[in-house]
Amino acid sequence: MKKNKSKTLVNAAMILIGISFLFPMYWMINLSFKSKSEVYDNPFGLPKQWVFNNYGDALEKFSFLKYLSNSLIYSLSTIVVTVFLGSMFAYCLSRMNWKYKGFALSYIAMGLVVPAQVVIIPILIMIRNMGLKGSYLSLILPYSAFALSSCVLMLFAFFRSLPKELEEAACMDGCNIYRTFFSIIVPVVKPAIATQCVLIFMNTYNEFFLAFILAADDKIRPLTVGLLNFFVSIGVNHWGQIGAAMIITSLPTIVVYMFGNEQIENALTAGAVLK
Amino acid sequence: MNKFFGNKVAIFLFSFPALALFTAFVIYPIFPEIIISFQKNNGFKSMGYVGIANYLKVFQDPTFWHSNLNTIIMVVVSTCVGLPISLLLALVMDRQGDSVRRFFKASSVFPAVLSVTVIAQMWVAIYEPMWGLVNSILRGIGLDSLALAWLSDERTVVLAITVAFLWQYLGLNALLFYTGIKAIPKTYYEAATIDGAGFLRTSLKITIPLLQDVTKYLLVLSVLGCMSQFAHVRIMTSGGPGDASRTVIYQLFYKAFSASDFGQGCAIAIIFVLECLVLTFFINRFVAREKIEF
Repeated sequence: MKKNKSKTLVNAAMILIGISFLFPMYWMINLSFKSKSEVYDNPFGLPKQWVFNNYGDALEKFSFLKYLSNSLIYSLSTIVVTVFLGSMFAYCLSRMNWKYKGFALSYIAMGLVVPAQVVIIPILIMIRNMGLKGSYLSLILPYSAFALSSCVLMLFAFFRSLPKELEEAACMDGCNIYRTFFSIIVPVVKPAIATQCVLIFMNTYNEFFLAFILAADDKIRPLTVGLLNFFVSIGVNHWGQIGAAMIITSLPTIVVYMFGNEQIENALTAGAVLK
Repeated sequence: MNKFFGNKVAIFLFSFPALALFTAFVIYPIFPEIIISFQKNNGFKSMGYVGIANYLKVFQDPTFWHSNLNTIIMVVVSTCVGLPISLLLALVMDRQGDSVRRFFKASSVFPAVLSVTVIAQMWVAIYEPMWGLVNSILRGIGLDSLALAWLSDERTVVLAITVAFLWQYLGLNALLFYTGIKAIPKTYYEAATIDGAGFLRTSLKITIPLLQDVTKYLLVLSVLGCMSQFAHVRIMTSGGPGDASRTVIYQLFYKAFSASDFGQGCAIAIIFVLECLVLTFFINRFVAREKIEF
């Protein structure tokens, strides 16, 4: 009897903690439908008077679509570059015979302990000298370079677990190494590649620091930085519009998360058990 | 087969592009950084070498030491408070029924998938002095004297920011611990169940020791993540009030990009790298030294 009671209590506590992770988002939705003055008088209750033009006003001052498309360009290009280069390199490290591959593996693993924040100054100078400032490449290249380490290490573990018979059969049939890799090996590790895609997308889409410093031109800013500038320009007193802008920017993530939360959870936790 | 895997051209084509990109943006920049840290440099051109003057300036700057202290507070609070809470949540989650667990899993990762800008701005609302969540609750239970202006009070601002990002990653870390728990073979628990060991004993004697690899991974992740904390500070307070909530990276950003002193910025970066290396070394030295194979 006592056991059942404590079990219910723990269950209730877990649900309560779970709700506390969601509550602030609910609150922001709530604020986004309130007028400027109602935020102060009635911060928590449902709006007495539903105000819908916060969304229209926010969209007018905040070029959401431009920033969203920039964010998507960065995330998708980073995925393509990183997965393409990373999978080839991981395959080369795990299967091919060359002298320095042990060294190359430790070399690429160094990327895990160098935070991007540390080398931001030289990267900025390099981007300027290469004439890339103000172009999308100024962020895609550093993003891909910093995403490479974990991508290579994870795919390396997957490639190593594949049986050598795969290539032996392909070799018998007269397949060269390029065709073997792209049409036999890559399809086999598709789940791992999908996981990497989700992971890189999440990291790049929400990245703040590099974008904040390297994307000085408003035309190429992603959502994270564009949203901050919107908050700064609007000041701290119009929470209805701030809430609306937050909801608009989070909507794509929320929709994706609703449909794919299992995959996202699996991708985010893949690193912990695979080292 | 040897010829197949020893194809020199293929090895070059497969490895060179990735190595070149990685070297150019991750490893190579450390060298110009070291050079600039010995120069007087405004970001556009060098005005000659100044020896260790930049480092001396950094060490004599009280703001630098203050920002280090702030960073250490953030690292200590999120590893010594945040990680144990996550571990506890994971242990409890493991014993929950399927429906509760699924709900908890889905909601706990939610803050981590939203962008930092949204989360940080949300916490600005939560700490709002007049109608924010924290102060409304405090006033509601009669603790009016504790209802502070959290983000503009020098005494509370660092902890307030720490709580915000601790909350953002609390659930994700719990899920990572939980994934580790799931990977422990059930056979380890059979003897314990027969002996009638309870939740506390099983957790302390079996689960937590066997989780050491995940614990180490999360320790490194959380320590390095907090060390390079910038976004939450920038969005919530811009390092303020005054310079009370600056972190080391914020100080680097301020010196290089607001004060246009790239020399000092690079010197701070080099010192920061050394700090990170020392911390990672200690974690590797003292946590999970022997690998466990299941």
